[in-house]
Amino acid sequence: MLIRRRTLLAATAATAVAGPALAQNYPRRAVQLIVAFPAGGSTDVGARILAAAAEKDLGQTITVVNKAGAGGQIGFTEVARARPDGYTLGFLNLPGVNTIMLDPERKAAFNVDSFIPIINQVLDPGLIWVKGDSPYKTLADLTEAARKAPGKISACTTGILSDDHLAILMVQEAAKCEFRIVHFDGGAQQITGVLGGHVDCAFDNVGGVFKRVQSGEVRGLAVTDVERSKFLPNVPCTKELGMPTVISSSTRGVGAPKGTSADVVKVIETAFLKAIKSPEMLQKMDAVGLALKPMVGAEYAKYYADTQAQAKKYTEWALKQR
Amino acid sequence: MEALGHLLQGFAAALTPGYLLYAFVGCMLGTLIGVLPGLGPAAGTAILIPLTFSLDATGAIIMLCAIYYGAMYGGTITSVLINVPGEAASVVTCIDGHQMAKQGRAGSALGIAAIGSFVGGTLATVALVAVAMPLASLALKFGPAEFFALMVAGLCLVVGLAGNNMLAALLMTVIGLLFAMIGVDPVRGAPRFTFGVEELYDGIGFVPVVMGLFGVAELLLAAEKRQTHMVEAELKSWMPTGAECRQSVGAIGRGTVVGFVLGLIPGVGAIVPTFMAYVLEKRVSKTPERFGKGAIEGVASAETANNAYANASMVPLLALGIPSSPTIAVLMGAFIVNGITPGPFLFKEQPALVWTVIASFFVGNALLLILNLPLVGLWAKLLKIPFSYMCAGVLIFCVIGAYGLKQSLFDVWVMLGFGILGYLLRKLDFPIAPAILALILGPMMEKSLRTTLEISGGSFAIFLDRPVALALLAIPVIVIAFLLFKPRSLAPLRESDIE
Repeated sequence: MLIRRRTLLAATAATAVAGPALAQNYPRRAVQLIVAFPAGGSTDVGARILAAAAEKDLGQTITVVNKAGAGGQIGFTEVARARPDGYTLGFLNLPGVNTIMLDPERKAAFNVDSFIPIINQVLDPGLIWVKGDSPYKTLADLTEAARKAPGKISACTTGILSDDHLAILMVQEAAKCEFRIVHFDGGAQQITGVLGGHVDCAFDNVGGVFKRVQSGEVRGLAVTDVERSKFLPNVPCTKELGMPTVISSSTRGVGAPKGTSADVVKVIETAFLKAIKSPEMLQKMDAVGLALKPMVGAEYAKYYADTQAQAKKYTEWALKQR
Repeated sequence: MEALGHLLQGFAAALTPGYLLYAFVGCMLGTLIGVLPGLGPAAGTAILIPLTFSLDATGAIIMLCAIYYGAMYGGTITSVLINVPGEAASVVTCIDGHQMAKQGRAGSALGIAAIGSFVGGTLATVALVAVAMPLASLALKFGPAEFFALMVAGLCLVVGLAGNNMLAALLMTVIGLLFAMIGVDPVRGAPRFTFGVEELYDGIGFVPVVMGLFGVAELLLAAEKRQTHMVEAELKSWMPTGAECRQSVGAIGRGTVVGFVLGLIPGVGAIVPTFMAYVLEKRVSKTPERFGKGAIEGVASAETANNAYANASMVPLLALGIPSSPTIAVLMGAFIVNGITPGPFLFKEQPALVWTVIASFFVGNALLLILNLPLVGLWAKLLKIPFSYMCAGVLIFCVIGAYGLKQSLFDVWVMLGFGILGYLLRKLDFPIAPAILALILGPMMEKSLRTTLEISGGSFAIFLDRPVALALLAIPVIVIAFLLFKPRSLAPLRESDIE
């Protein structure tokens, strides 16, 4: 099945472009950008804004293709297996892509070397939050309670091995405390769970909850980053709270399959960087509470490698607990 | 009555020609999305979001909401005509709707569906206006424990009311639950029964399964009989008759209540209310044996519940900012992109917008009725197409639908496989509905049970501490007790219940 599909793909591609894609004749046709999450989700929204903006500079249509499923594994696999000709790119969601490949039971068909990280778009830092009238006023209040009564304070994630799950493990390690971890399926369930009083606190990202924090409906205890979020200037970051090891975020950028030529990567990087730095992009992303964090070349490659190393440590820890 | 004043202003805005046009276009597009199998409301809304970028925020939201409930209605058309649910929530409509079409009553079925959808949608919107805020905060108390209890109660009601066919229904439920186990374990995150096939990590796709079990199986049965037309009976009616309307009044009323109440609870999804309304209708009917053989109440209850649910599910979104289904999540994304964040502050910050949108719900439901009643005859005429063409057309339709969902060829194979399974089950006279309900409820039931136990630290005592959960769990116990003692009152409930 797979072989047949790939032969077909190869044949179609061969008629479309003869010879290897070189920078001077790239791109000659539409580029597809695979998003491993469903249409309408926050990765998708960001990707569509980016694609529309980058098209102008790339000079070709960029089609966003949603290949959702298995927490992103279907889409990431598709990117990893695509022909490295620059016509198939994919959104890399970190640390999601890392935790999938690090979990042996998931039998991922890709590893850390399967992708060339080209350019990062969004860095949405983690946010630890409680109900607006919760007795926990600070992160220290919360960790203190979880230390005194180990396993009694419930903390919810947006899914197993999500960045939020790893963030809970980081806090447990740094504050030497133990939460009762409850895995929800996405941010909406967290809101119901915490506001309804079913769980004590939630680990999510700034983009999903910042409006509620601004309105006072929920209380942000800490942003898991080295600096405060521009959307929540009154919420302290974990670094200033003396927890420099609690650094967790959901980042999303564009990558290409291994083997894509450096020239082609440069063309993509240039076009996408211009789009990300445009004022319209900033304005649109501000509206949805997503912070832009353009990273390219060596900086993004290092970030990708660092995330892999950090995810490895906590994924192994999480797997030991299951 | 501050709300009423706001609402009147909302109407004034919603009835301006521009917004009226957006609602109209939305209803049209939505109906089209509903008709195309595989392209459900969630995917359809997501695809059409960019279309609204050029509109102002209110216009964009009005149009997207119209697309949403337009799609909820559109799915009915294919369910009735060719036994293919255009979107997942129309599964129940297939059961009696297609039987009605076979008796030449396609017009009646589509007509009552349009009327029921209108009444359900409108009444649910009235209720939304009246009680949105207090009910929404009450729904928050509905945690994983209560959710699990509700799922168990729902499943038991369907199986328990199967009468003499109970063994078959139970067997089919277990088969459905087994298929529901396929996929990544929701708590440990490890794949189960996937045999290394990544496409199975999210479980078996619900839409390909129902398209196979209903649509493809129907084609196979029809092909075997060498029919000249998909439906051989003469088309007798264009509209429901007076008697049929009278028969459906109760069903529409009860469907509205079921749809509205379940719409308030985040996460229930559109299929559960339709099933519950259908089972309730059969339970209260004096002639339950007609169900599954073209009972108009069956169509009326499911379709009413469907649209009442669609409108009620706006309550958690507008009042709390909680999207209660994938489609609503997409809508919420569209709200946010348009600079509106749903939630408790929305009513205070942008009352003009909220009330215009709510008023547009009324307008949209009315438009949908005006749009669809005259078209009923046109749709029903499709049945005149000779079977040889129809068969090929429906199959292509199903294949495109199954593929289009995730652009996955794997789903096409799933659909065809379940088509053959559905054919065999129909031949053996096994009821299909319990398996479908189990397939949809199974993962929700498992996830909520395990989340409940995560919250309680593994103790089942949590169910005893929660009165609502306990009460819901008592329902199946009572049903089973009734069945064991078999009182006379249950005697008419024999034979096929949901098939």
